[in-house]
Amino acid sequence: MIKAKSKPIEEIVDYITPYRDVLIVGCGGCVSVCLAGGQKEVNILQTELELLRDKTKTDGQFSGFTVERQCNEQYLGVLDDMVETADCVLSMACGAGVQLLAERYPNKPVFPAVNTIAIGVDLDVGLYEERCRACGECVLAYTAGICPVTRCAKGLFNGPCGGTNGDKCEISPDINCAWHEIYTRLKAQDRLEDILKIHPPMQWQNQIKRTIVQKGYEQRYHQE
Amino acid sequence: MGTTTEINTDTIQSILKQNKKQIKLGLAMCAHCSLCAESCFLFVSHDNDPEYMPSYKFINSIGKLYKKKGKVSRQVLEDMRDLVFEKCALCTRCYCPFGIDIPALITLGRNVCRSQGLFREYDREW
Ligand code: SF4
Ligand code: SF4
Ligand code: SF4
Ligand code: SF4
Repeated sequence: MIKAKSKPIEEIVDYITPYRDVLIVGCGGCVSVCLAGGQKEVNILQTELELLRDKTKTDGQFSGFTVERQCNEQYLGVLDDMVETADCVLSMACGAGVQLLAERYPNKPVFPAVNTIAIGVDLDVGLYEERCRACGECVLAYTAGICPVTRCAKGLFNGPCGGTNGDKCEISPDINCAWHEIYTRLKAQDRLEDILKIHPPMQWQNQIKRTIVQKGYEQRYHQE
Repeated sequence: MGTTTEINTDTIQSILKQNKKQIKLGLAMCAHCSLCAESCFLFVSHDNDPEYMPSYKFINSIGKLYKKKGKVSRQVLEDMRDLVFEKCALCTRCYCPFGIDIPALITLGRNVCRSQGLFREYDREW
């Protein structure tokens, strides 16, 4: 799922300082799972901000509410009245959620309270690791399930660069070379021919806003 | 969940009041035809366990709260939390031939739980 991390509190305070009443909106989806922006984190942020305002003796109110998913309009209606009376909104969802809120409430400043980091895996409670950058042309089939876009510092598609240092990447002795891992795993599976073919450069699709239409839905969402 | 055993019935009742029409209609319209069951991937992947039936989930969450006029114990709400958070992904894919918006009703169940500090704890040690 999507992994995010809370922004430094000073940055958040900077955004909201000009405003009186602040509505903090959590998301019950990915950011709840990675402990960045669920209901619990909304409560914590609200308390932190209240304490800071107490210190500076500025007035204004904080309130918090968590919707089930900020990336789906269907779950946002419940916010309408709350947003109406707030002076600004702090969203604790990923960038998609923040943007949908900002679209729905074009007259209200909507600020992100977290940094959206990656599509990643759960290693442990509170510990996550990036695995995918949503490039739109997944190459895992021939890279033994290891993502060169995410794991190789240069995002190479046709074998390692000249800087490979044994099994390490040239940018740091602490980082494994993705292509070394790809080679090792493919070799063990007797599939080395998979990387002998030259793969054309990626047609980077993630430079513009992509729309995802699943198979079978093309007619329904056909656009000119 | 924590130490508190208090329930703020007023908050629950205000959520019920605000959404009365939708809840009442949903409860009245459900014909218990169980056609929604097959459309829920969780029902199918849990060996057709009836507790995963979309209709079961809304009737036993917001439906139950509505019938009891919001007067429920903390324990009942905790069980409800498990039902609406653990047994539904809110994928919005369930299909009711009578047009009941089941995910919206389950969402209301979640709203009530959240209003009492009950939600899915992803850092809970199992
Ligand atoms: S808004 Fe972002 S964090 Fe929330 S469910 Fe959607 S994708 Fe996940
Ligand atoms: S190649 Fe890497 S970044 Fe692209 S979709 Fe596959 S895992 Fe994601
Ligand atoms: S050393 Fe390996 S991981 Fe690092 S940039 Fe070169 S090929 Fe990519
Ligand atoms: S919204 Fe819930 S009940 Fe409906 S299909 Fe998805 S998981 Fe099943």
